[in-house]
Amino acid sequence: MVELVEGVAGPACGLQLGDAGADVIKIEPLAGDRARGWGPPLMGDTSAVFLALNRNKRSIALDLASANGFETARRLLAAADVVIAEPARLPDAALGYEAVAALNPQIVYCAVSGFGPKGPWAGLPAGELPAQLLAEATASLGRPGEPPVRAGADLGGMYAAIYGVQGICAALLARDVIGRGQRVDVSLFGSLLAMRSTLWGAHSNPDEWWGFHLDSYVKPPDHGYQCNDLPIYFTLARMDADREGLLRDLDMEWVREDPLFDQFITDNGGGGDRYSHVVHHLWERAFAKFTAAEVMAIIERNGGITFPMNDYPRFVEQAQVQHLGVIRTVDHPGIGPVRMVAPPWTFSGTPAEIRRPAPRLGEHTDEVLRELR
Amino acid sequence: MPGPLAGIRVFDLTMWMVGPWASTQLGALGADVIHIEHPNVDWGTLGAGVPPRVNGTSIGYIAWNMNKRSLFLDLKTAEDRAIAHALLKTCDVFLINMRPGVAERLGMGYEQLAAINPRLVYCSITGWGGDGPMADRPGADGYANYFTGFWSVNGRPGGRREVYRHFTQMDGTTGLLAAQAVLMALLARRRTGRGQRIDMNMVQASAALQATRLAEFLASGNAAEPLGSAAYATAPDQAFECEDRLYVGVSVTSEAEWAAFCGLMERPDLMADARFSTNVERVKHREALAALLEPVFRSKPQYYWMEYLGRAGIPCGYPLRFEQLRYHQQALENGYLVRPETSGWGRIYSGGPPWSFSETPATWTGTPMPGEHTWAILDELKVGAPAPATGG
Repeated sequence: MVELVEGVAGPACGLQLGDAGADVIKIEPLAGDRARGWGPPLMGDTSAVFLALNRNKRSIALDLASANGFETARRLLAAADVVIAEPARLPDAALGYEAVAALNPQIVYCAVSGFGPKGPWAGLPAGELPAQLLAEATASLGRPGEPPVRAGADLGGMYAAIYGVQGICAALLARDVIGRGQRVDVSLFGSLLAMRSTLWGAHSNPDEWWGFHLDSYVKPPDHGYQCNDLPIYFTLARMDADREGLLRDLDMEWVREDPLFDQFITDNGGGGDRYSHVVHHLWERAFAKFTAAEVMAIIERNGGITFPMNDYPRFVEQAQVQHLGVIRTVDHPGIGPVRMVAPPWTFSGTPAEIRRPAPRLGEHTDEVLRELR
Repeated sequence: MPGPLAGIRVFDLTMWMVGPWASTQLGALGADVIHIEHPNVDWGTLGAGVPPRVNGTSIGYIAWNMNKRSLFLDLKTAEDRAIAHALLKTCDVFLINMRPGVAERLGMGYEQLAAINPRLVYCSITGWGGDGPMADRPGADGYANYFTGFWSVNGRPGGRREVYRHFTQMDGTTGLLAAQAVLMALLARRRTGRGQRIDMNMVQASAALQATRLAEFLASGNAAEPLGSAAYATAPDQAFECEDRLYVGVSVTSEAEWAAFCGLMERPDLMADARFSTNVERVKHREALAALLEPVFRSKPQYYWMEYLGRAGIPCGYPLRFEQLRYHQQALENGYLVRPETSGWGRIYSGGPPWSFSETPATWTGTPMPGEHTWAILDELKVGAPAPATGG
């Protein structure tokens, strides 16, 4: 597999195929993948993001503008099953689909773009924020009319990567049937739109204009329910939730006198319910007397469901997270131990493994060139 | 031309979103996905009954079961279990999302099915993993969102952290990664000749989605503070207000783009400023840089910036909403928003196939009514009559 991409979407696609066992050769420009400098934080001179997205790969540094570098890339592509490229940022049209397919008709060519292969924005290079804005992902944060707020996770890049892996695997399976490779296009914009399908469906002549698949993004920002130390999430959606017991144990009989009591008593909590944003402050007034652990115990005792609203430091400390091995430590020569998220699948027959840390720029140039001879 | 998975058949014993979303993808790729429903199904509780509903059915059910056929089976009866086993002999993939142990009680455990069909790729999805202290906790999208910190990296600068107000992202991510794992196992089967068991859980899938932000935390030890529209690791990479009070988002992520950006802005002084000499320096001085750029962006309208940034090859975009998106050329030309006809709910908007294949196109079709294809599928199997439907 050859990777001709930088940043998040393309490299995350290669990462997942590499985790699943593919031999991924990352062609980097002489300046390196731009994501090497995405930080702070850096570890040594390399960003944490790069180290996380490029394990299980070998790096060859090539100047694609030079005759030698270009010829080497062509020879790698001629021998590859898969190439991942971002056409809008390719230095040379001769690395585009038509030219590569002429060289190697068996190749699966995965083209990653910001906004899709067609349409007025087809030629714009990919960007996480532009894709989130255009796909209205930012409408699920902040308030209408105020400055946009992006999803902190790289949703567009990661979804495009996952869909890219799906497309590549499907095209490799189809290759057995049709006898040749093909071009597969994925984009950040298209992937974000696919992942908001429930919202689009909710807009299709609904019976009523509420519900967290429809109106949640015109509601005010949801911060969870703050207790006197930490925030929590809770829901009373289970049939056996004992609301009377809750009012007693939370010492909030006063809520019966509140003008919002009618909405309060139908509220299932959770932030997405019909009146949750209206009565949110009533719950928080009661929770302010207790710690998060105390509130969760009271709600669970009365038939509700609760979860802590973790930030990352608390998340990685959870016993279940440690039990599952969500975070792995990989030794990187020159940097030392690097902690990162493990592959998310457990295969009984062909396990995914972290076989090598992210490469130094051009670390395997000689090795890969020797194999080409 | 059939899709890339033509000839692959999926036994889809899934409910709510996480499993059904996995099989929705496989169906769009051309697999014959047979979604199992209980014959006494209550339409009001499909998709957990979550509003809004269309014709009385939760939009969740409709949106998460496109690209499939639907079969009534009551796996607690011996007759229907025999039908299931006959069907499973013709299947390549088995998908289930139930708590640990439920599959075995239904006669649908991995060993049980591998004995019937050793080539079967068996994928089980749980909320919290097959064992460990939280294995028996209920799983749902929101729970994974809050537990894994997905909510904790959003918000206005200096403000409280804020939830992404569109549930389904953690369910959807887990489903996407499950579909991906199934495809990987089908590839492995070509070499090994055998199926295998895949275990997925929402914790690891949600963490994988957040691999970049988690990597930054693991390197720095610090919980990320909300930055509004700004990126954590690149700058300038945020939305700016324009002269017409609309916003434009600009993402400068390489030194070449930074040089192009300064050229476009006619600001060689920014290029020469040591505070902005590399991305790392620009991230360290993000606020100072934004303060210099804000008046520049306020001097021209949004469409000016879209034209000029695009011309310079700098990634840019502006916020759209559904009412614009559903008529937007970029979404429509690429087939990213579609409106397939469904059997019980009319035309329903949905995201379309996010992949385009040059040789074996994917297609997005409507949602079947529960049990709609029961007779057709049994006819194909020729194994007798189904349990009579009494519900719905």
